Amino acid sequence: MVDLFEKIPFLKKIVKLRAFQFAVIFPNFFLFYLFLIAALVGTPVGNRNIMIVFVWIFWWVMLIAFMVPFASRIWCTVCPLPIIGEWLQRRTLVKVREGSTIPGFKQEFFGLNKQWPKRWRNIWLQNIGFLLLACFSAHLVTRPIFSVFVLGGMIVLSTILALIYRFRAFCMYICPVSGFLGLYAMTSKLALRRKDKAVCDVHKGRECFLGSERSYPCSWFQNICTMDRNNYCGLCMECVKSCPDNNVGLFWRPFCSDVDIKGIDEAWKSFIMLCLAFVYSVNLLGPWGVLKDWANFTETGQWPGFILLALGIILLCMVIFPATYYLFIKWSKALSRSKNVTTKDLFIKYSYAFVPLGLLVWIAFSVPLIMINGSYIIAVISDPLGWGWNIFGTTHFPWKPLLPEWVPYIQIPLLLMGLFYSIKSLYKIGMKIFSEKEATVRSLIPMAILLSLITIVFLRLYVG
Amino acid sequence: MKRRKLLVALSIFIILQGVIFGLLGRGKAPGPKMRVIHIKARKYSYDPPIIRVNRGDEITLTLESEDVTHGFYIEGYDIDAKVRPETPHFWLRHPSKGDDYETVEEIRFVADKNGKFRYRCSITCGTFHPFMQGELVVEPNYAYPVSIGLVLGLAIACVVYFKSKKD
Repeated sequence: MVDLFEKIPFLKKIVKLRAFQFAVIFPNFFLFYLFLIAALVGTPVGNRNIMIVFVWIFWWVMLIAFMVPFASRIWCTVCPLPIIGEWLQRRTLVKVREGSTIPGFKQEFFGLNKQWPKRWRNIWLQNIGFLLLACFSAHLVTRPIFSVFVLGGMIVLSTILALIYRFRAFCMYICPVSGFLGLYAMTSKLALRRKDKAVCDVHKGRECFLGSERSYPCSWFQNICTMDRNNYCGLCMECVKSCPDNNVGLFWRPFCSDVDIKGIDEAWKSFIMLCLAFVYSVNLLGPWGVLKDWANFTETGQWPGFILLALGIILLCMVIFPATYYLFIKWSKALSRSKNVTTKDLFIKYSYAFVPLGLLVWIAFSVPLIMINGSYIIAVISDPLGWGWNIFGTTHFPWKPLLPEWVPYIQIPLLLMGLFYSIKSLYKIGMKIFSEKEATVRSLIPMAILLSLITIVFLRLYVG
Repeated sequence: MKRRKLLVALSIFIILQGVIFGLLGRGKAPGPKMRVIHIKARKYSYDPPIIRVNRGDEITLTLESEDVTHGFYIEGYDIDAKVRPETPHFWLRHPSKGDDYETVEEIRFVADKNGKFRYRCSITCGTFHPFMQGELVVEPNYAYPVSIGLVLGLAIACVVYFKSKKD
């Protein structure tokens, strides 16, 4: 592991600046609101509107194929959605307002500052929200106005919640994007962590969690002294500013370094994401018109078909896939011959198998998005609203797929890589659970079969 | 040294799996045939959605639109057509040779490349346009059985590798 703060001291200087977060969010915030306006007043034809083309082609591919695997939750660092709420909560854009609004914290906060309800301190709301949104994905990715409703709704909700609950409750527990970013950030090469445990053990100030006169508390409710996964670290960098001992590092590490799935909610998130990659691959990239008609129900009027499709998606993600996985886990446990591990524990821990494979499947799904439809980006830059402008002279740039016949040959190695990292991670997890190689390897066999079958299903869709 | 030998052996095993599956999936190649296929385009799909042919087949395609103007672009075959509703002919161009369309009543080409190729709408036809596509599968589609072989070979190789790994 390499500490990037040590390798590039300038980077640490930048993130320690009080204005760092504002400086990286503001341009994004500004652009995002321009896109929202474009979606409201521009053409309703998705591939001619900058909102759809930039958000659902460019942003999505950047997020899933580059940001998450190589920079963890860097998107959360620059995300414009919850920032109005945070600015209102702090009543400042940059500086720290000292005060004692919340017992134990040394800063002033505006709003009710309630604690998030205990029973919802998990990612079930994110799971459900994402699943419901996914049922309407055909509208979300093709209709600018629908994107405005969803993304605008998220801004309104995050702002309201920021005034009721303390810190970033929306990002932690509600935001549907945050849920899968957290899960897949486990695979990432980048991680913010404490450098030396002994330093944290001796120091009692807890400034990284509580903030200080020069920094805010961790908005993500994380304690970097004990944090051992990327899941809920939004890389806001406040702890880097707070730590009086300079004990926070930004590490460059091997892929799939975090492997601990800690709850049933996170396990289900891995099922939902993998199943949705399948659903999208069938529906959006597949040739079957009837499914497209059902997904596109507001235009085709096929409401019964849509209801059937939505129920099918929910059933697949919530019941069918988890039940199938459960059978493989039973088999896995039986083969391991271990009596010290419960089926439930193995079910949760081994669900990590769907994280590297899931991420790589999503990347494989995204390859044709950018290679086939990427040329729309060049055209909409000149005519963002679809009103016939020609700002940079590229409005009439034709739709030009980039090496489309090569797409399957890029997807195959991506899927193989996902399979490899999944099995490799399972071995690591198995060794932790069983503490014995023979039992681990035996328990791996059913999972390797299941993962191979899943990979073959995706190969069938992309290549077969 | 032992570990390196094992890694080399497992890598060869994975590749062999790919080759074997590729050979098994090849099937018996029938001689080239003439195939006439009529394709109906409508928002946002083609009928038939999947066309399976053999390498060397001479394909004649005719196009019809049931609603609005649609495009018909076949990946890898340098074919891009435009079809309007209630029009018996349609327009064809070869993207590598320029943007000019010629009026035609059918598209003829030889399926001389193996694999899976999508045909897509190339003219914005509505909200769901970017996802309007069908599939042309030219058999033997080696990529599919080879990749299945690689998947199975990789899974087996991983298990064998971990089994032989020292604690």
